[in-house]
Amino acid sequence: MLQGTLDLLILQTLLPGPAHGHDIMKAIGQSSDQVLQVEQGSLYPALHRLIKRGWIEFDHGTSENNRRAKYYRLTPKGRKQLAVETTKWETLARAIARVLRPV
Amino acid sequence: MTWRRRSLDDLDADIRDHLERETQDNIDRGMTPHEARDAARRAFGNIAMTTEDTRAVWIPVWLDQLLQDARYGLRTLRRAPAFSIVVILTLGLGIGLNTAVFSVFNAVLLRPLAYPSPERLVSVSNYGAGLVSGMEAVGLTDFQSWREQATAAFDKLAAYQSSEQAVVTPDSAEQARLAWVSDDFWDIAAAGPALGRLPRPGERDVLVLSHAYFERRFQGDPRIVGSSAVVQGRQLLIAGVLPAAFRFQFPEPVQPQLGPAPIDGYRSMTLTRVPRPAANLVNVVGRLRPGATLEGARAELDTVRTRIAKADPFPIADELKLRVVALQDRLVGQAKPALRVLLAAVIFVLLIASVNIANLLLARASARQREIAIRVSMGAGRGRLLRQYVVESTILALAGGAAGVLVARAGLISLVGLFPLAVPRLTEAAIDSRALAFAMSASIGTAALFGLAPALALRRSNVHDLLKDGSRGSTGPGRLRLRRALVAIELALAAVLLCSAGLMIRSIWLLRAHAGGQSPQQILVMQVRFSGSRYPAQPARRAYADEALRRIAALPGVRAASLTTDRDFFTHAVVEGAPPLTEGEMMRAAPEMLIATSAAFAPAMGLRLIAGRWITDREATPAVAINETAARRQFPGQNPLGRRIGLPLFPQPPFPQPAERSLATVVGVVADVKYSKLDATPDAELYVPYATAPLLVAFSFVVRVDGDPLTLAPAIRKAVAEIDKTQPIFGVMTLEQALADSIAPRRFNLILLGTFAASALLLALIGIYGVIAYAVAQRTHEIGVRMALGAQRRQVVRMVVRQGMAIAVTGIALGIAAALAVTRVLASLLYEVTPTDPATFAGVAIILAATALAACGGPAMKAALVDPIVALRCE
Repeated sequence: MLQGTLDLLILQTLLPGPAHGHDIMKAIGQSSDQVLQVEQGSLYPALHRLIKRGWIEFDHGTSENNRRAKYYRLTPKGRKQLAVETTKWETLARAIARVLRPV
Repeated sequence: MTWRRRSLDDLDADIRDHLERETQDNIDRGMTPHEARDAARRAFGNIAMTTEDTRAVWIPVWLDQLLQDARYGLRTLRRAPAFSIVVILTLGLGIGLNTAVFSVFNAVLLRPLAYPSPERLVSVSNYGAGLVSGMEAVGLTDFQSWREQATAAFDKLAAYQSSEQAVVTPDSAEQARLAWVSDDFWDIAAAGPALGRLPRPGERDVLVLSHAYFERRFQGDPRIVGSSAVVQGRQLLIAGVLPAAFRFQFPEPVQPQLGPAPIDGYRSMTLTRVPRPAANLVNVVGRLRPGATLEGARAELDTVRTRIAKADPFPIADELKLRVVALQDRLVGQAKPALRVLLAAVIFVLLIASVNIANLLLARASARQREIAIRVSMGAGRGRLLRQYVVESTILALAGGAAGVLVARAGLISLVGLFPLAVPRLTEAAIDSRALAFAMSASIGTAALFGLAPALALRRSNVHDLLKDGSRGSTGPGRLRLRRALVAIELALAAVLLCSAGLMIRSIWLLRAHAGGQSPQQILVMQVRFSGSRYPAQPARRAYADEALRRIAALPGVRAASLTTDRDFFTHAVVEGAPPLTEGEMMRAAPEMLIATSAAFAPAMGLRLIAGRWITDREATPAVAINETAARRQFPGQNPLGRRIGLPLFPQPPFPQPAERSLATVVGVVADVKYSKLDATPDAELYVPYATAPLLVAFSFVVRVDGDPLTLAPAIRKAVAEIDKTQPIFGVMTLEQALADSIAPRRFNLILLGTFAASALLLALIGIYGVIAYAVAQRTHEIGVRMALGAQRRQVVRMVVRQGMAIAVTGIALGIAAALAVTRVLASLLYEVTPTDPATFAGVAIILAATALAACGGPAMKAALVDPIVALRCE
């Protein structure tokens, strides 16, 4: 997976609402039809990186099977950042597409 | 930080939660629970690594690892308390002694004087022919001419002179150290009063008290300001008190017999013109104008001197040399060589301590080889291991540094308490921020030094061999060789220190051997200085002395009561029949000391008579006894007995004016004695009965007593006070104490060097014991085998001792060789001992060898008691 894309994917996944780590991973896999497989080992450092930057926060919640779990959610700052990152990514994707398939 | 901690806090729980969910999903997909858990773990990867990566987001990796290292280091040190304590104490001793000496060095030599523009303050003095050797002073008339005429270089020139005087108030009479100071003194010292005021320019008969004296004598009662006291028969106004922080940082009194002492009071000196050559000697200090140099000042003073000399009937000036030096140099210059030597010596102690600690760390590193090997095989980098060592060394260094500051504080307090006046400005020494910075950097520097040894050893270690080696974790021969070399170096350093201290001890010993008088601990001395209007002339003074001697002699326990004048009356003896000295010759010739004393002086002091007889109190014709030096100088190769010397004496009562010179017959020759300054070369001395003394201004009672002299002192004091209570006697001490005080700087050096040498010896002992004990422990198995094969215990002991002594002999030989090269720097501090005194060096070698032998004893015994069965079974 490209450098920085994991951050973008996490932010995008959290846009609808809070989720815990495992959900985030699954959601990324499902919404990309299992094309994008998140390396689990890098998920947690990435989450903490985003916390440190102030783009996401976390709450302790009780999950469906009555266990304490950490729920990550987007901060307003993170929402803004998502827009920026998305634009950047789209620009990049278009550029790559143009290189690969010249019109 | 709490936010960070909270973010990390439940990371493990989070990951566990993640894994459980994954496992659940896998089960839902149809795996067995066991398979599901395994699959989840596989998918997640290395959990520990993930945790570390996540932590790294929050805490810089190096800091995190450093904290880990520190925590681990603290834990390992706690687990080996004996090791840690020995290291911390060793280091505390090394750092502490160094910090204490540095504080002294800092206070005495580095810290500027407490006056404004200290760099512009200078001391001006004359020295050379006509003045007693070692004396530096200026005639008051010269000072006055300089002050008026040398104005280009000097902004201010002040004179002062200190002396012991009775300060008499209506309540009491007490001796005090007073300084007469000219007006400019107050400008130079920039002093202001804490109470009252300072003398106004030109004001006569004003006294300003030091704060300590104000507290001691007057119990800090402010009403004393404005009252008056009588000094030398003059009524002085006590105008003010100086602040406690005021420091008198000027050279010592011009009279060599007046030792250093804190100044109790300052009396205004009025500068009235005195005709030359009235030898009123003062100290002179000046403040240069900005931009003026020492050379410029000297040149200007020389010009003035030449001008005066031309108009002077007594051209004393060309016999004297002029010295213009920075005040700081004059004040502490003499202490400089000794302090430098002490600083160098104490650094040796720190080096020895470092070597010792390096050795201990090496031993520990051997014991930890397996731990290290395991860490290496688990993937720990060399850098990380090295850092672990550095961190542990730093922890030890900081703890040792803290212990050192405590040692330094205690050492400094006892040093200043023991020798407050041995070194100028010593009382100002304190553990200040600079000393703390020094202790800190010394700790860190030492840590770097001793942390290096195990690190170097680490470089050589080989994981494979270590793990293969089994539980014994034995040391390669290389490492033990390094440790032996370190111990040898340690012994060599200790040998250098011991040689230095040994030479100092020999010096003091020789000084004592030359000391005058038998059993000086049984001789009580006390001083009298006539004051007040009751003793205007000699007869009253003699009557007082007669009466005092009679009363003291009558006390029980007194064997002999005598008196002697202070050694401050110089004359030029003229032998009858010899050509009279010209004025110039007299100026150049070394003077003789004229001492007025009594018949009981010889028995009281224990003087050794060489020829003739001692003087009596009532001689029919003027008589004089001379010492060996005077006999050699005045009567070389002749018999002095019966010869006559012209001296400025009073004839017998009824005391008419002194003849120009009375002829006194030499009745006896006594051995040279030193009863005032142990390390001065003996002067030529002429003893006359005090009845014929030209002047009796001040004298000392010299009383030989049975039993403890100090218990008798109050009775003597009382007996004398009954004659006249306004006439204080002071400075009561045994002759032994007085002699010890006279060489206080030497004793100061000796005590310090001795402490350093003793510390070095102790550390060397620990060092050599450590290495040998370790070697024996390592070889327990081998010794067991030897004994099983028939080796005798004696042979085992010899083997261990031989091993230890090989190190010791190498170290001692190296050390003696180094000492031979180094002790030259001590030359100026020694007395009648050459810096390469063979006896001292041999003694040191023997002491060190004996110490090493003793250190080997314990381990050798342990080796001899090895039970072969147990040793072999241990395998």
